[in-house]
Amino acid sequence: MLKGHRSWALVGVVAALALVGAGCGDDEEDSGGGGTSSSEESSGGGTIKIGFLSDCEGAFGSFFEPTISGANTALIKFAGAKPAGEKPSDGVTGAKIAGKDVEIVSYGCADDTADKAIEETRRLMEQEDADVMIGPLSGDEGIAVANYAKEHPDQTFVNGIAGAQDATLKVQAPNFFRFHPDGAQWSAGLGDYAYNDLGWKTAAIIGDDYSFPYTSLSGFVAEFCAIGGNVSKRIWAPLGEEDYSSYISQIPDNVDGLYVGIGGAGLINFVKQYQEQKGRVDTERMLGNVFWDDPLVLKEVGKSLVGGATAAMTAADSDEPAVKTYLKDLEDAYGKEIAGLGPSVFTYGYYTGMTALIKGLEAVNGDVSDQKKLQEALAGVTLSGEEAPWGDVKLDDNRQAISDVYVKKIVKDANGDGVPDVQTFRRIPEVDQTFNGVFSPDTPAPDRTNPKCVKGEPPPWVGNAEEVDFSSK
Amino acid sequence: MNPTVSTGRLAWPVLAVVVLLAALAPLIVEDFFLNVILTKALWLGVAAASLIFLAAYGGMVSLAQVGLYGVAGMTYANLVLADGGSAAAWNPWLALIGALVVATLVGLGFGWIAARSEGIYFLMITLAFSVLVFYFFSQVTTLSGFGGVNNVQLPGLLGSPEEDPLPRYFVTLVVAVGVFLLLSGLSRTAFGLGLQGVRDEPARMRALGFDVTLHRTLAFGIAAFIAGVAGVLSVWYNRRITPGSINLAQTIDILIIAVIGGLYRLEGAWVGALAYALIDNYSREWVPEVGSVLGPARFNTLIGVVFLVIVLLSPGGIVGIWDGVRASLRERRPSIRGGGASVEGT
Repeated sequence: MLKGHRSWALVGVVAALALVGAGCGDDEEDSGGGGTSSSEESSGGGTIKIGFLSDCEGAFGSFFEPTISGANTALIKFAGAKPAGEKPSDGVTGAKIAGKDVEIVSYGCADDTADKAIEETRRLMEQEDADVMIGPLSGDEGIAVANYAKEHPDQTFVNGIAGAQDATLKVQAPNFFRFHPDGAQWSAGLGDYAYNDLGWKTAAIIGDDYSFPYTSLSGFVAEFCAIGGNVSKRIWAPLGEEDYSSYISQIPDNVDGLYVGIGGAGLINFVKQYQEQKGRVDTERMLGNVFWDDPLVLKEVGKSLVGGATAAMTAADSDEPAVKTYLKDLEDAYGKEIAGLGPSVFTYGYYTGMTALIKGLEAVNGDVSDQKKLQEALAGVTLSGEEAPWGDVKLDDNRQAISDVYVKKIVKDANGDGVPDVQTFRRIPEVDQTFNGVFSPDTPAPDRTNPKCVKGEPPPWVGNAEEVDFSSK
Repeated sequence: MNPTVSTGRLAWPVLAVVVLLAALAPLIVEDFFLNVILTKALWLGVAAASLIFLAAYGGMVSLAQVGLYGVAGMTYANLVLADGGSAAAWNPWLALIGALVVATLVGLGFGWIAARSEGIYFLMITLAFSVLVFYFFSQVTTLSGFGGVNNVQLPGLLGSPEEDPLPRYFVTLVVAVGVFLLLSGLSRTAFGLGLQGVRDEPARMRALGFDVTLHRTLAFGIAAFIAGVAGVLSVWYNRRITPGSINLAQTIDILIIAVIGGLYRLEGAWVGALAYALIDNYSREWVPEVGSVLGPARFNTLIGVVFLVIVLLSPGGIVGIWDGVRASLRERRPSIRGGGASVEGT
């Protein structure tokens, strides 16, 4: 009897649990339905629902608000939206594209793992019923979302700022668009600079041991080796490493230079330990990837990096009026602190992505019922002027951006804030993803040993870089 | 709450009702809920069940289960057709068997080492194993691909889950029920009872002639097999596996699921997994904004708070709460106990 009693009591509890579960499903259906009908009433022509995906946890969690600020500012500027609160994640109101209401269904939060990115994508697209999505933020996530896109041809995805090469070059989903250069493209111009300006013949590279640094450093290897340089040693430290001393001691002495692809907090540790071990950071024989002129890195260890060169798709010191307008728009919407991160590739990538999405939606009159048309329109979208203040953007056949990249030097502080400044000295025009055929859908993906260091026909921008000087004007 | 020796019969009516409800769920809920909550809860439950089996019957709280399911998941993903990894293009069923064999062998080998330690040392050594598996697959990119192994081929039986999630849901359900029956049945066999003896009085069991280390090693191997099942189910669910899928955060998540559900009862695995999946998904919209302390982006904080509350109020988890209620009911109404005795006497 006791046993019997126990079982029936358990039946009750489990049934209750199951009902709670089912109830949640129903609730969700109700609220989702309610949201749609009310907005349909207000516009009469249906609402365009946009899902937004970035990271609020993990290594890039601190970029959550900046990435949203980029996307929202595009909506404010090109779709008549207004910020709904002080924080970017408070959302926007009143956005309209081609006369239709635009709603950000939710600001999705992943944690730089592919699994969580896909779960959030599912939540945005399947539970919140978004028509199109902008995101994600980080390399592995981008590859996963591109694969998800391939399985859902009736939905459209615009990348946020995920920089892994594979997402466009290998996956080739016809409905996944990236309106910014990938990680390898961000390194364009540095191989040329090292070989022809600094006179390096051999170089070593050091980076974090995961997909983004592989891509990022591969751009340097491809260009430097094509011209005739030799990469004699590749050193990889696990991501999140705190003690770089054993990796620093692996850096050979018989090379002309070193390309550093260590990111974020790791870079700060690396620079400090390099200084302790070698006396000083010999920046005259050093290049850094996109993280070197990150505001946080400059603040912490910038003084040690003065003299080093780096490259990326933005240039903080640019005096182009379009850049100034972009930064002012950000500041008007979200204040100085957020606008200070405007030149960060994270904010800018989401800004150009959302801008392109708005242009694509305008071209099809906001019609998201047949997304084949939207995808055709997006493939033809080009950005210029205030739409892409740091240089025009167009897409190649893999729906990957061809755009300008800037080579910059870290110089002594001139504006008196105690933090070293960035001086841009070269614009690399129209950098494309393939580096003149070094990368193609059939070549091995960048990893610890690929691409191989081979001499060949250099990418078209070598020798065609344009010298720029923003400080003299 | 102390674990008890399981000698009682299985609560068949309960199981029948739960399975019936689960089988009818697709009629009530939409595809999204079926996928992201129910299917996920079922496979997470299998992973947590492998941990609970060890903890409840063997007294071994193992953090190695995610490492073991990572081994199985990676093995499966590499053996079938996929983007990245070695893409050996085996038949998915053959790959399934291969993955389970590899996970079980690795588990036995590892169990043989870990079974000699106890308590906090056992916890640490199993944690080290999970971390080792994570770093192995992060570093050996020939196996984990660039950005993980994507678009993993599924057995034909599952159809195309993107279009119709039902077959995958039912397969996962059947497997979960099978795992539950297998583990609870096993706990009632001579082996299971011996294991519980080893848990409570290893010295006495040794004196009785039991090979304690062998017993614990075998239990670890069985749990590794179950973890392997969870690993393959996770790949079927995600259609991809990356080193990030089996990192330290996931190791902790599985432990949290087991503790929330109830570390001393197998049912707790699925109760905890369901609770976890619900909180994971819906807290991203429901949680009110409280300064910068709480908000939809603070999902981990919420799980942490739930975890703390459970540990403090009911060490037996959600299932333990029910046990507590039942115990106090029984005390208040002693007549039931008398009735029970008479029925048992007849």
